[in-house]
Amino acid sequence: MLLPKQMTRVLIVGSRGALKDTIEVLYQLEAAHLIDFSAEEEGFSLGAPLPESSDASQKLLKLRSLEKDMGLDDMDVSGSMDIAQVDKDLTSTIIELEAEITGATESKNKISARIGELEAEKAVLLNFQALPLNLELYRDYDSLKVFTGKVRGDPTAALKAAAPQSEVFISDNGDFIAAFVIKAQADEAQKAIAQFGFIEMPAPAGNGAPQQLVARADEELVTLRSSLVEAVKKLEDLKDKHSIFVKAADEHLSIIVAKAETPLRVGTTDFTFAMDAWVPTSEMPTVEKAINEKLAGKVHVESLEVMSRREAHGHHDAEQHDAPVEEIPSKTENGKTVSKFEFMARMLSTPKYREIDPAVTMMITIPIFFGLMVGDIGYGIPFMILGLIGLKKCVSDEWRTISTLLFFGGIWASIFGLFMFGEAYGIHFAEQAHDMSWSSLLGVHLPHEIAIGGFEIPLGIYSKLHNVKEILYMTLWIGIAHIFIGFCIGFYNKSIRFGFKHAVIEKISWLMILVGGALLLLFLVDAMIRGLTVELTDIRMLIALPLIVIGILMAYKGEGSGAILELPGLMGNIISYTRLAAIGMSKAGLALAFNTIAFEVMWGHDFHVMGSNSGDTIMLIAALAIFLIGHLTIFVLAIISAGLHSLRLHYVEFFMKFYEGGGVEFKPLKVIRKYTTDKNGVSE
Amino acid sequence: MADAGLIAIGAGIAVGITGLASAWAEKEIGSAAIGAMAENEKLFGKGLILTVIPETIVIFGMVVAILLWLNM
Repeated sequence: MLLPKQMTRVLIVGSRGALKDTIEVLYQLEAAHLIDFSAEEEGFSLGAPLPESSDASQKLLKLRSLEKDMGLDDMDVSGSMDIAQVDKDLTSTIIELEAEITGATESKNKISARIGELEAEKAVLLNFQALPLNLELYRDYDSLKVFTGKVRGDPTAALKAAAPQSEVFISDNGDFIAAFVIKAQADEAQKAIAQFGFIEMPAPAGNGAPQQLVARADEELVTLRSSLVEAVKKLEDLKDKHSIFVKAADEHLSIIVAKAETPLRVGTTDFTFAMDAWVPTSEMPTVEKAINEKLAGKVHVESLEVMSRREAHGHHDAEQHDAPVEEIPSKTENGKTVSKFEFMARMLSTPKYREIDPAVTMMITIPIFFGLMVGDIGYGIPFMILGLIGLKKCVSDEWRTISTLLFFGGIWASIFGLFMFGEAYGIHFAEQAHDMSWSSLLGVHLPHEIAIGGFEIPLGIYSKLHNVKEILYMTLWIGIAHIFIGFCIGFYNKSIRFGFKHAVIEKISWLMILVGGALLLLFLVDAMIRGLTVELTDIRMLIALPLIVIGILMAYKGEGSGAILELPGLMGNIISYTRLAAIGMSKAGLALAFNTIAFEVMWGHDFHVMGSNSGDTIMLIAALAIFLIGHLTIFVLAIISAGLHSLRLHYVEFFMKFYEGGGVEFKPLKVIRKYTTDKNGVSE
Repeated sequence: MADAGLIAIGAGIAVGITGLASAWAEKEIGSAAIGAMAENEKLFGKGLILTVIPETIVIFGMVVAILLWLNM
């Protein structure tokens, strides 16, 4: 079905004691999209979390902090555990783990801190190493003041002038000094050395030659570093040993918490609860049956309303009407292939309950557009392979979408490349009058067409660079057809939402303008480009003009004067499809440039002579290198330009004709397990 | 037939100036899109699409250039 699944609004009421079981049953059914209870209704208040929530939350908090210590927080782990096992070991293992991991982390942090300290001390000592004094000589003087530190330039002369009785030691490279000055002259001396950019660095504690201290620090550093390695390894071991358990427990507890907090979305009184939810109409019997069987007598399900697609308030301004009209969630059911394209449509917006899911239309046209823009079997096949690998290996939605695009786009690129453009890597198969070809390059005659059972199948009808007119013209028609489909879907959407009459005024009007415009295009091409003499009473004009005029009048009636402003927009939309030709051309142009440099210039190939070349092997290798790099560039550019532009043609030109979006995705109460398995199933 | 050189210059101007125009527009949109993405990474898709919208300008320019070129 192209439309999202039909929804029923249900009310589930029951005695408060049965709330927990009800939640459990709903989680198993995976069919109820809960509507958050708004605390406005009289007599009802928000439900309180189930008692197990607080204990589970506490444990979860501990686990999460452990995960952080272990560096597991955003890592994927493979494997899974049964929840019975998790439950059994939960409390004891958490305590044990906490002790072990906290201990290991602490000792690791302590060692790292000590290493940092020692390294800082060593850095200071290294400066003092340059002076021939023991460390105890720098302190404990009654009448002397000691200056030690970095300088720029030799301050000895200035110091002697300021404090004649001073003694100065300076390092060999002249950037570190120790000056011993009589206290009375200390101020003068300080001023003198300040002019040499003196930065004080007090002598470190300790006795003996700095060299010895450095050596001692080095020794200690070696031991500390090896124990750091050990500590890290210990943490790693702990991580390897417990990662699955931690992830599994995290998941298990998260599920418990999610279930236990579900009452927060439900209205309750002292003895009862009332749950408001959306359930797909087709699953209503299952839901009713399950609740009646498992919670017989305690809980009652009532179907309130099967939501029709028709907008309740008739006209456009449904959204502005009294606020608390809950958005009906859209549950789309697409097959395996279409669902690969869902993310592309969702990237823009989620479809509304009352409109067609555009993923299906995207599945058909996006790869075709991509293929048309690439149009080269030399790129098409690698795209297919790349896409296939991506689909096998990638997990994230983004990469899977790109892989899907590449795979299906690659198929079309190969088809267009083989039959329509007849080229690989920008070089045609069969001989060309004005260009090199694989035939001339390899010295083998490749056919212009192949005959399969009486049919002549051409290999290359158009050349991207020599048949620009034809390809441009073709893309205009692709645009007209695509937009035509867009308006048709728009017509369907409008008619189910607001009724037939409304849809006619709003969409058929534009369809008429579009068809009129298309006829006009045919006329104009004859008149202006092909240079034929045409009469104004031509049959195409006679049909086109009334269609356009009536269309505009209808659109004006339906949408007001804005419709007239949209007219040039429609024309712009159609011209926008010429990018299909333009991007193909730009790629062909780039390819031509690289091929010419590689084969004609470097290898000396003359395409008038079959299989000719004047270059030697080295030039051939250089030529192949240029060829490879050049085409790799085009290949990458093709992903970006062809991929993005085919998406854009859909998002902007196509979707504007029918797609509103802004819907709410159907998110039923359900449990997603990745690291845990539930062997017992129901009796959890 | 019109002067080939003038046609070539005209085609060049058509592509060149429309190229500058799209670049300018895309620059503004692009920086705003990056800003929005910094707030909410989920806007990547929309940002990307919005950023390439002005590309149409240069495509119009290119079509004009091609039409000129075909008349050469």
